[in-house]
Amino acid sequence: MAAIEEGGGSHKKGPGVKKQTRKDARVDMTPMVDLGFLLITFFIFTTTINSPKAFKLNIPDDSAKDEEQTEAKASGAFTVLLSKDNNVFYYEGQLASDGSNFKSSNFKEIRAEIMKKKANTPEKDLVVIIKPDETSVYKNVVDMLDEMQIADIKRYAVVDIFPGEVELIKATQGSAPPAGK
Amino acid sequence: MSKLNKIARKSTWVDMTAFVDVSFLILTFFMLATKFKPPEVIKIDNPKSVSSDKVDDKDVFKVSFDNEGRVFISFSSDKEGKAKAQTTAEVLSRQKGLGLTPAEISTFIKFSVGGIGVPVEKLKSFLALSDEEYKRYKQEGIPVADTLNNQLDSYINALLTGTGGRKPANVMLNGDNGTKYPYFKNVLAAFKKNGIFSFKLITSLEGVPSGTPLYKKQNTPAK
Repeated sequence: MAAIEEGGGSHKKGPGVKKQTRKDARVDMTPMVDLGFLLITFFIFTTTINSPKAFKLNIPDDSAKDEEQTEAKASGAFTVLLSKDNNVFYYEGQLASDGSNFKSSNFKEIRAEIMKKKANTPEKDLVVIIKPDETSVYKNVVDMLDEMQIADIKRYAVVDIFPGEVELIKATQGSAPPAGK
Repeated sequence: MSKLNKIARKSTWVDMTAFVDVSFLILTFFMLATKFKPPEVIKIDNPKSVSSDKVDDKDVFKVSFDNEGRVFISFSSDKEGKAKAQTTAEVLSRQKGLGLTPAEISTFIKFSVGGIGVPVEKLKSFLALSDEEYKRYKQEGIPVADTLNNQLDSYINALLTGTGGRKPANVMLNGDNGTKYPYFKNVLAAFKKNGIFSFKLITSLEGVPSGTPLYKKQNTPAK
């Protein structure tokens, strides 16, 4: 109890002894509670709850000898191109010379396409190639790497874009779907 | 009047001791658990990822780039980080003939916690700033755009030379959502050139979408 009981019994006082006024030793704790909760609120708000997370990234050594380079089978390749305004383009296998298999997509729909490709391809052949162009932003690249984690793709690479692909993106961008995400 | 109507009048005083105990317990918890954000000179909005690995704060070498493409380096404030900042400054001063004084090197260590983003040739004048001036000074970033003059390479090279090729335990990349890809590529190029192929990107947590392979993998009970 907060209150401390003062002297228990009522012993008899002798004559002439003044009767002391007994005060209640209870303390009103309301202000203290108020203050306590005020401080709690302060600390709750200042605490950063979502602490940053680390996303591991390993990049290949460019100077590796040719024979050490892993050869990507054309049939298992899935190329994703990233461009400005969160536009995403992709093609399977090799790019057709007339660009007929070059399709546009966005960050919401690309996952389904990757999953479809994953389901149709033997695992050892599957390789996703990510090609960000000059106008794409860091977020796009990280989002795409994240998609690789989500789709559980074992082999993927970030590669420089070819000039031919840049041309195709430019040509398609007029009819590109509204940027998702 | 019957005796039934007589209600014993109780005191309205509530004993708050337990309440106070609990509230101060929570208060103590929050006070101890709170980690105040270090003063950041650079404003960075990290992308989201599903990765849930914790960020280590020991022995960190961090390269940050903001949405304007300004590149900064920073070291952690622990012993290892400070030692690395010091050797970096010393080696850089020797390699580039900057002639940094011990006082300037200690300033380098101090500033390196918040972030250093000036070209090598401006480093000496930059280190003459006071703490207050440092906070207000708009650093132009370490130039990386030019492949021939990728100065981030000089900084990393100085660091690795200083440690005798031993890489920091945690090499981190702290990028902003809006940074254009070429800057990221150039930062990677500087790392590649110095033989660092593995690092951690700093991201904020995002839930794994349900129904995806990763979600299934995480939610399958281990047999």
